Amino acid sequence: MKDKWLLQAVVLGLAFFLAILAWKPIGVSTQFSVISGKAHRLIHDVVKPEPLIVSDGEAKHGYRSTNAYYDRSGGKLAGAIVGFEKDLAFFLSIFIGSSLGALLMSGKSRASLSDLKRKMSMAEISRSFIAGFLLLFGARLAGGCTSGHMMSGMMQSSISGFVFAALVFAVAIPVAIGGEKKWS
Amino acid sequence: MVVAILLGIFFGFALYFVGAGNNATVLDMLRLRNMRLGKIIFFAIGLAAFLAGLAASLGLLSIDHFKIKPLHAGVIIGALIFGVGFGLIGRCPGTCPVAMGAGTIRRGLVAILGGLLGALCYSLVYGSIAATGLFEQLNAGAITLFQVKDGLPSLLAIPHWGLALMGGLFMGAAYLMPMEIRKPRR
Repeated sequence: MKDKWLLQAVVLGLAFFLAILAWKPIGVSTQFSVISGKAHRLIHDVVKPEPLIVSDGEAKHGYRSTNAYYDRSGGKLAGAIVGFEKDLAFFLSIFIGSSLGALLMSGKSRASLSDLKRKMSMAEISRSFIAGFLLLFGARLAGGCTSGHMMSGMMQSSISGFVFAALVFAVAIPVAIGGEKKWS
Repeated sequence: MVVAILLGIFFGFALYFVGAGNNATVLDMLRLRNMRLGKIIFFAIGLAAFLAGLAASLGLLSIDHFKIKPLHAGVIIGALIFGVGFGLIGRCPGTCPVAMGAGTIRRGLVAILGGLLGALCYSLVYGSIAATGLFEQLNAGAITLFQVKDGLPSLLAIPHWGLALMGGLFMGAAYLMPMEIRKPRR
């Protein structure tokens, strides 16, 4: 186990480097805004008289929205919500990649994950849901998550990345330790 | 598009491979019981920085590809909120789809649903938050340590080779990081 960490670290580091080399720095949290935005748009356009997002040739990304967040930067998010962008394909492909990993890798690591297939209690469900909510609300407020701010950010020496990472761990460590006996 | 998909697959595989999809592994790190994942993360950042700095110095990596996020009060408050969620379940937005692919489907899915609601709520309240001027507070712009992109501020007037050096230091620090800080319980 101990010997393998270096290999694993190299693989992870390569993933971030190859991304910036071939495309752009990895980021994930935006896709949650995009996917929820698609649902938002669906419902909005059914119940409200005016559409949430409209085309606007003068906007930098070609769209305008009554929602201030989608309207930002000349409709950047609005465009992502209306269309199907590479970023979303990237996000969905993460699931494919991890499934592939689970299929290819055998032995102890696979077994330890299947142990967790047991039923979820109501407490676990609420905790997962609330935590998910906090993770994304916090990430969007900060402008990125551990992938976008911490890893992609720090690898570019972004100060916001360093600040984000430091504060996340400053809070997550006591929270995790506090919950150590209560939940796993 | 193909590049994005291939990168996504590789990223998903990498996260699974290092054990980041297993929330027990992440929590062990956060509880300072087993720092293995911490060493991996730190080393990976270092390697990525080293390669990016090197490649950019050699003109192999286009400077356009560098994308720096701005520092402002939202980063600080957002990080604190994020940290609570992270400490509660040992998952982050990136590892939730990994958890789904790795067999712990229900946990990953519930967290993703919570995340989608969280992201939606943010999209809905963003306008009100922006109106308070929060994002102008403590706003240092898209500032970096090294001069990685023209036009963006940096603390040091050192270009990409500095990034490579920092990467090297991170890799060294990761290597020296102890495997345990608190004694493991099992």
